Amino acid sequence: MPTLAQTEFSHFGPLVLLLVLALGFAFGNLILTHVLGPHRQGKIKGMTYESGMNPIGTARRRFNVRFYIVAMTFLLFDVEIVFLYPWAVVFPSLAEQSALRPLFLARVLFFLLTSVIAFLYAWRKGVFRYD
Amino acid sequence: MLTDISPQWIASSVVALLVLPVMLLTVAYLILLERKIASWTQDRIGPNRVGFSFGILPLNFHFWGLGQPLADGLKFLMKEDYTPTGTDRMLFILAPALAAIPAVIGWAVMPWGGYLRWGEDMVQVAALPINIGVIYVLAIGSLAVYGVVLGGFASNNKYSFLGGLRATAQMVSYEIPLGLSVLIVLLMTGQTDAQVIVVGQANAVWNIVYMPLLAVIFFTCSLAECNRAPFDLAEAEQELVGGYHTEYSSMKFALFFLSEYLHMITACAFFTLLFLGGWDLPLVHEPAVGGLGWVVWKCLAYGAKVLVLLALMMMIRWTLPRLRFDQLMRLAWRSLIPVTLAMLLMTGLVVAMNWPKWALLAGNVAIFAALLVIGPMIPQGSVENRRVGLAGSRFSPQ
Repeated sequence: MPTLAQTEFSHFGPLVLLLVLALGFAFGNLILTHVLGPHRQGKIKGMTYESGMNPIGTARRRFNVRFYIVAMTFLLFDVEIVFLYPWAVVFPSLAEQSALRPLFLARVLFFLLTSVIAFLYAWRKGVFRYD
Repeated sequence: MLTDISPQWIASSVVALLVLPVMLLTVAYLILLERKIASWTQDRIGPNRVGFSFGILPLNFHFWGLGQPLADGLKFLMKEDYTPTGTDRMLFILAPALAAIPAVIGWAVMPWGGYLRWGEDMVQVAALPINIGVIYVLAIGSLAVYGVVLGGFASNNKYSFLGGLRATAQMVSYEIPLGLSVLIVLLMTGQTDAQVIVVGQANAVWNIVYMPLLAVIFFTCSLAECNRAPFDLAEAEQELVGGYHTEYSSMKFALFFLSEYLHMITACAFFTLLFLGGWDLPLVHEPAVGGLGWVVWKCLAYGAKVLVLLALMMMIRWTLPRLRFDQLMRLAWRSLIPVTLAMLLMTGLVVAMNWPKWALLAGNVAIFAALLVIGPMIPQGSVENRRVGLAGSRFSPQ
């Protein structure tokens, strides 16, 4: 197995190249189509397409609170997963003393338990029910 | 000055410059392949007329429709780039770019060809050979939601707005089981370096053998993250006209379209990396560090695996009906997240006890069996869309 090259900051150099290419691709296409395509304005043409109906009011209005609650629950879990990544990397390479390993697992499981309790609470509250 | 540039820099830049055009060309022909698979599924012939003459060149042969992607691209470029009234102009222009840019740079850490021997040194055949590669893919993948959400918000169209809302809820929900399943693979391998994860599977048993259930969960979540059918609620044609890209035309629409396919390639490459052994050629004992010949073979093996997965995604799209929104959310929150949490527990136990890897397979099978037993026991809640008995019906007779 080859030895691991340490990641240095300079390894991110080609990413800059790729980012420039991506920006060039995206904005180059947008500019090109703007230059090449025709431009004709119109009052009726400017209306948003809502299946032929004249649009009533603006589209940016209040929406269902469920989406907000889902976002909140997502934050809970996502932050928890972010904390678990370092643990997942370190845990298998922990010293081979098997006596300590269950202890470290138990600690993380306790951490996980706090979010699972929140998850169960949200479940009981009917956050995940859409019917 | 030139001596300061390391071989890794040169190799990475070459990979970045080579893979990007290859991927864009692949995307163009993936769209053709998707239309072909659709037509084969539905017993049609599909696009077979457009050749390379484009009405100018005196060619009478139509090349089995292979000119279609080029013609489509040209047509997208020549169409009117229209901005309806009432849109948020800045976001309206920015949204397609924000959808395309993460899609273009997301694949950067994919270890297409293993290690290349370079004189005394060895270099990685990847555009971004960093040791947090897996985290990078997840981070860039999360950015993809912005294009969809801003596109839906900026359009000032109720359909687009609903599509954007649905897409946010969907991508946010499926990111949790996705992140958890990646976490489980990391826990199994103890590495976040994409290349090392592949080296661990090369000339050995692939992770999908140890973790079949996890692979299925990961594939499902990546389908949802790509907004692919059966999870394409963000652009459900029958309900939302076009969803978040209803108001988009010309190349702006094309950028949304291309980014979807680029995301598919990245998702399939990620799946290959985590579960299918990356560049590992089956039945061949290949060295991890090889010459240019080995690199080419490894790239081909990687590409072939990705293509098979892409074809699978397309066949799923044209076979399965779209989920309802409540079914979608139920699948994520009430099924996938508890199951992945249980699998995390199981994997942690196996790693803590230093059991052999085959215990993971046993754990997977045990969890699957437990699901079959526990699943029907969970209370279903009120069923509002109950089947109504119909006289003479095959599925719900009276």
